[in-house]
Amino acid sequence: MKKRYLYLLLLPGVLFLTIFMIVPIFLTIGTTFFNESGFTIQGYLDFFKDRYFIEILLTTLRVSLFTTIICILLGFPAAYYISKLGKRTKAIMLLFTIFPLLTSPVVRSFSWMVIIGKNGVINKLLLSMGLIDKPLDILYTPTAIIIGLVHLFLPLIIVTLVGVMENIETDLLKAAESLGASRLAVFSKVIIPLSVPGLVIGSILVFVGSFTAYTTPALLGGKQRVISTFLYQNAITLNEWQVASIVATIMIAVTVLIISIMNGLAKKLNPKG
Amino acid sequence: MALFTLQDISVAYNKQNILKDFNLEIEKGKLVSLLGPSGCGKTTTLRLIAGFLQANEGKFLFKDKDYTKVPVNKRNFGFVFQNYALFPHLSIFDNIAFGLRLRKISKSEIEKRVMNVLEIVNLKGFEKRYPQELSGGQKQRVAIARALVIEPDILLFDEPLSNLDANLRVNMRVEIRRIQQELGITTVYVSHDQEECFSISDQVAIMNKGVIEQLSDPASIYKYPETKFVADFIGFKNFIDFDKRVDHEDKIELSKSGYVFVIQKDAQMINLSGKIGAIRPDDLLIRAKDISEVVSENSISGRVKVSTYLGRSFQYVVETPIGDFTVNKEMTESYRAGQEIVLEIPRNQMVLVD
Repeated sequence: MKKRYLYLLLLPGVLFLTIFMIVPIFLTIGTTFFNESGFTIQGYLDFFKDRYFIEILLTTLRVSLFTTIICILLGFPAAYYISKLGKRTKAIMLLFTIFPLLTSPVVRSFSWMVIIGKNGVINKLLLSMGLIDKPLDILYTPTAIIIGLVHLFLPLIIVTLVGVMENIETDLLKAAESLGASRLAVFSKVIIPLSVPGLVIGSILVFVGSFTAYTTPALLGGKQRVISTFLYQNAITLNEWQVASIVATIMIAVTVLIISIMNGLAKKLNPKG
Repeated sequence: MALFTLQDISVAYNKQNILKDFNLEIEKGKLVSLLGPSGCGKTTTLRLIAGFLQANEGKFLFKDKDYTKVPVNKRNFGFVFQNYALFPHLSIFDNIAFGLRLRKISKSEIEKRVMNVLEIVNLKGFEKRYPQELSGGQKQRVAIARALVIEPDILLFDEPLSNLDANLRVNMRVEIRRIQQELGITTVYVSHDQEECFSISDQVAIMNKGVIEQLSDPASIYKYPETKFVADFIGFKNFIDFDKRVDHEDKIELSKSGYVFVIQKDAQMINLSGKIGAIRPDDLLIRAKDISEVVSENSISGRVKVSTYLGRSFQYVVETPIGDFTVNKEMTESYRAGQEIVLEIPRNQMVLVD
């Protein structure tokens, strides 16, 4: 077979994505810029004047940011530990890592309700120990969403980081040590900078995932809206498809913006990575 | 006086001894090579000195202080790796400055010292580049500069040239020796390349199975190997296991299965009891046998088994009553397989080893 015909192998996939994804996305974006009287950006102007929507957008960004930071803080040491293991134990540990991904977010969210609810395990424990007088409000707050999202996305960042850390030569760490670096200095001056590519990809996955997540915030957030539950409410409950399309377009724009900011940051931190 | 000493060191992995009761003393300012086949313990010895691994038993003394438990980052020894181990995320300048920055040295002093060491390794003008942009030889020079700039008490090389091609290897080893002598820095150099070690070292330690078989200056080792292993390693391919050794005033008489050989007794000869004769393929004399010839002193008749063309010379495997011999002879006269010949061992070319 000639090489140029190999492109034909791409055709089914490309065709599918074009028809069922790329075209609908552009149609959605397109409809947001038109009303009965032609081209307009009035929809967007109304949106950004609306305190309620701004509030939701900021909450979503804040939740996504905290989720990403917590995932990095929890995931980085774990990933480093796993990357240093022998082949067999590493495979087992990675299996445990991705284990949470095998249960549905719905099941997990309900489990969290049992744990952090008003009469949940945590509140009962703290009350019986006398540390608090009345139950803490965790469920149906942004904190609950963050807990659920960290649980959901931690495996992703660990797996990405392990992949990058495995490829850091041990001789580099030894070289740093022989030049006088303490363990801490080796970590901060060699391991962290060389893990930047993994951190960036992992952070993008977690941030974008958190930003667009629906099930977890819908179940653990209660009345607390995030942008995806807001979109759902407009489209399904209120039948405001124009508003829903605008929300969707804003989500796409924010996602693209976040990815390009992260990439820029990565270039700065690791110019030759 | 010894700058540092390894005392009765034992190292074992999975109950297998890598080093056993190992002793080594190295003097200040000397370049000492550890030479041996893979698995002989030379790299283990080097990593032990660097502090990358701990001995199960024994002591490491540096300037008469017990350094056995001193961590790597407090030793101030420079280490040069086989695969360079340059930090890929740092420029050449930052790579070299790495150790200085950890020492809280002022910015201007760092600048001065990095530039100075770049000049020593002939890499001026490369400070803004990144490791990926350099050739193998340049990378290794950066690695040497990075180890030198911290003014280490000992410089350690772990097969630094084995990833370079042949020409570059020769240039780099001359460089290494020049820098080492200019700075008078005590150096331990590990390699499996005999020529490399002999050409740059003050002393060579030939290692086998976790022990030093011989530690001496290169010329002495080349001429007077002490053990069969050393002799074999440095190119004595022929060995005769004699039955009897009789020492006389100025000669030694050796016999095997009734064949008698005589060698000169040399004042420098170290081995006073060995009964294995060792001789290089280049030092054996070979000639065609006349039918009527009576074989004279130190000679034995045999037959050519294999004849191999080596370019500048021929190599013959010769079968004799006391075993097979390998002989190299220049091309002027060649012998066919099966031909009857006479081998002669010159009186001053055979050494005795354990």
